Amino acid sequence: MAFADSWIVVPVFAPLTAALLAFLVRRASFFISLAAACLSLLAVAVLVNRFLVNGPAAYAVGGWDPPLGICLRTDGPALIMLVLTAVAGVGISLYAKGYFTLRIERPSRVGRPERQERFFWPLWMLQLTGLNGLYLSGDIFNLYVTLEVIGVSAAALAALSGKSASLIAALRYLLVSLLGSMSYLLGVVFVYKTYGVLDLGLLQAAAAPAPGVIAAMALMSVGLLLKTAIFPMHFWLPPAHANALAPVSAILSGLVVKGSFFLLFRLWFDIFSPVLPAAAFNLMGSLGAGAIIWGGVQVLRQQRLKLLIAYSTVSQLGYLVIAFPLAFAGGSSQAWSAVMFMASGHACAKIAMFMSAGTIMLHAGHDRIRDLAGIRAYLPVTAFAYAAAGVNLIGLPPSGGFIAKWMLLITALAGHQWLWAVVLLAGSFLATAYVFRVVAQLFVIPPDKPVITRRRAGLLEWPALIMALLSLLLGLMAPYPLRLLEAGQIVRTAMTMGGGP
Amino acid sequence: MTTILYSVTGLLLFVFGLFALIVCPHPLRKILGGNVMSAGIFLFLVAASYRADTGEIDAVPQAMVLTGIVVSVCITAVALVLSTRLQQAADQGARRRRKRRREEDAGE
Amino acid sequence: MDQGMKMLLTGFDLLLALTLLWLAWQLLRSTDIFKAIIFFICFGLLMSLAWVRMHAPDVALAEAAIGTGLTGPLFLAALRRIERKAGKNMMSEPAGNGEETGSRWKARNREMSPLLWTVTALTCCLAGLLIWTVLIIPRPLPGLADQVAGSLAESGVNNPVTAVLLNFRGYDTLLEVMVLLLGAITVWSITHAPFPPRVPDTSPVQKAAVRLLLPLICLIGGYLVWQGAYQTGGAFQGGAVLSAALVLLLISDFLWLPGMRSLPLRLGLTLGPLVFVLLAGFGILVEKTLLRLPVEYAGPLLLFLEAACGLSIGLTLAAFFAGGRPASDLRETPYSGEAKGKGPAES
Repeated sequence: MAFADSWIVVPVFAPLTAALLAFLVRRASFFISLAAACLSLLAVAVLVNRFLVNGPAAYAVGGWDPPLGICLRTDGPALIMLVLTAVAGVGISLYAKGYFTLRIERPSRVGRPERQERFFWPLWMLQLTGLNGLYLSGDIFNLYVTLEVIGVSAAALAALSGKSASLIAALRYLLVSLLGSMSYLLGVVFVYKTYGVLDLGLLQAAAAPAPGVIAAMALMSVGLLLKTAIFPMHFWLPPAHANALAPVSAILSGLVVKGSFFLLFRLWFDIFSPVLPAAAFNLMGSLGAGAIIWGGVQVLRQQRLKLLIAYSTVSQLGYLVIAFPLAFAGGSSQAWSAVMFMASGHACAKIAMFMSAGTIMLHAGHDRIRDLAGIRAYLPVTAFAYAAAGVNLIGLPPSGGFIAKWMLLITALAGHQWLWAVVLLAGSFLATAYVFRVVAQLFVIPPDKPVITRRRAGLLEWPALIMALLSLLLGLMAPYPLRLLEAGQIVRTAMTMGGGP
Repeated sequence: MTTILYSVTGLLLFVFGLFALIVCPHPLRKILGGNVMSAGIFLFLVAASYRADTGEIDAVPQAMVLTGIVVSVCITAVALVLSTRLQQAADQGARRRRKRRREEDAGE
Repeated sequence: MDQGMKMLLTGFDLLLALTLLWLAWQLLRSTDIFKAIIFFICFGLLMSLAWVRMHAPDVALAEAAIGTGLTGPLFLAALRRIERKAGKNMMSEPAGNGEETGSRWKARNREMSPLLWTVTALTCCLAGLLIWTVLIIPRPLPGLADQVAGSLAESGVNNPVTAVLLNFRGYDTLLEVMVLLLGAITVWSITHAPFPPRVPDTSPVQKAAVRLLLPLICLIGGYLVWQGAYQTGGAFQGGAVLSAALVLLLISDFLWLPGMRSLPLRLGLTLGPLVFVLLAGFGILVEKTLLRLPVEYAGPLLLFLEAACGLSIGLTLAAFFAGGRPASDLRETPYSGEAKGKGPAES
């Protein structure tokens, strides 16, 4: 194995080491974390480059090949998620620095923001470790461990605010995530019992209908759906996401739910697709439809900005699962593209929105939508970022959301699946309603608006704008992710032909 | 026979724990339920790979169970501390409310 | 093995399985949480027996030491803290406490609501389906036993479980050690270690006994770590035993953790993961592969790793029991502390 192959471990080990150091050397924790985030970005860039030259890579940790050892793998979808996580990682780190600096200047309770900042950095780095580990891992039990890293650090981050509401939400989050990972783990046991291996590549080669597989897939899917907060198992998400600190909300809503979804999608389409009945795909589709409609209606009823954004996550996650029946009909490659665009567009947009909401909350002192009129007057960049992110949620061109919804719609119409098409359109209408409800408030300045002196808060405003613009312009960059996905697709076919990795 | 017996026991434990985790209102009971659930899974995992006839031992599931036990202790500890902290926050709220009421009474 | 012995063992298995189920049922439905925790501890001990029957002594040891030996006290400590804060025993009786005690979770009345019926029915169906699946799955595949046996010689240790844990699947274990550290960071981030009220009932005899026991426990812990390479034992089991010593210190009024400075504790907590990461990096430098150990040095390196991890694991588990960061660390001033009537800013 060549020395340069080891780049693949950097996205996991850079944040992991940073977490250790940030916990030890607290004074430098921000710089350590930022350095790790940048290093991950660099490593991901190298990985993408190597992928385009050499194709997918497999890296046997410790030199032990599967089935004995654990394999790290890169392929198109994993790389897209890694790029997304790395970019968002740098953005969120910068924003968090600005957020905590401002909070420490004006503490509500002396010492509380300091505590939050000190513990934020190691927890956030561990979250990154877990996510990157999940995207790279090629071992179904190792994936369970990464899920636990993600789950515990997400609950810890959600509890960081220290308020009663967030503690309750965090405890519930932790228990739900425990339930989800237990269910997943039982599924893993069934898989191991049926096939006798844990490696994803070997499982893909071995996947054949067997009595244990249906049970395994059902258990793993329920666990992952619970962790992804897909309707009707979304009940825990809005309070946890809305009551957390702003950078934490961005992490939870933008990145964390995507991790478990990615794993779900990979299991359904890459590994066990031959053994699943069509009815299962339709069931997933109806869950997605339920999420889009029910979530969208709930969003309209919210009075607080952060709750509104959290419920919109519930609704938008529905698009990810409604892709299941469409992909089943239209072929897996189309589905991967649509889902990847949806996931990354939504992640960038939702991160930008929660960042903006946090900035607004810091400046206005509350997030009651009714009283937010005219924020644009003193936070123009933030207001614009919110609006730009909203464009992605609605799915207007040239955003990533547009590309994804367009692909889904085309597939639905081509397959004469009218019902799904109607739901997709209805979801967009609901999104339009809830995005404009807030944007109208932010942008229309009432005449009697008291002038508030503007604070210098560059780190709060610009990362949000950049994330929002990324989601908005994702459509224009569409060829690059597609190239990654197609390169992966070819190899995947080759793998199935060859019967093994 | 042994394999089947312990497998079934493990699965039943999983279901018991699941039931408690969903139904019981008290967080300590929920966390106990989670622990019973994980114990059930571990039992099933090791029982499923144990072969009574040959006496052959597969070390991989055992290592997985060791990992799982440690992870489950960790989650238990975090959940317990969260519940404690929550109770403490509720007490502080109650105390504050009581004090405010007392002040109001004195004001009248 | 003759027929009678086999019958006897099967009977034992049956009895054990039924007792486990009965205990689980009791612990989940007894009205008193304290009783439930005691049932849980018994349950854990019987689980260890089941592990022994399953020829998994490493798991049995870990279950006894961590799964029960530590989890049980964790529950008891949490129960005590919650009850003390709630003012009285809120767990056992539903009514009568009123809102003044602040008890958050009043036991609901035990009538079967339609929702409860649904959940019961669904879980019964789930149990049926799962068991049915297990019964129709053909004989399990051999699994990975042969691969493990084949590569054991290159792993540097003789105990196959330790070989899988630290070498073949060392990456899992690294992440798992990180989960432990993550747990400690989380616990620290949530609250301070509550000072137990100065326990007047810590008798001098108890203190003297702890002083006597302490070196012995540490010795056993160290021995377990060391012998993990050859037979049953390892970092987790040894660490758990070590944590027992630290917990003993805590409950015997040697308040080491709440009174300690934060930095040395943090160093201790991160020592194991740091050594693990360094070893992983060493693998990249020397063997060009993450976590790959040169065959001739694998044994000593793994022993070193286990010692560092055992220390950190022991400290982490004890930190779980202490339930928070040291008292001096990152105080929030106007925010009243844990114990009653301590908040100066509130008055």
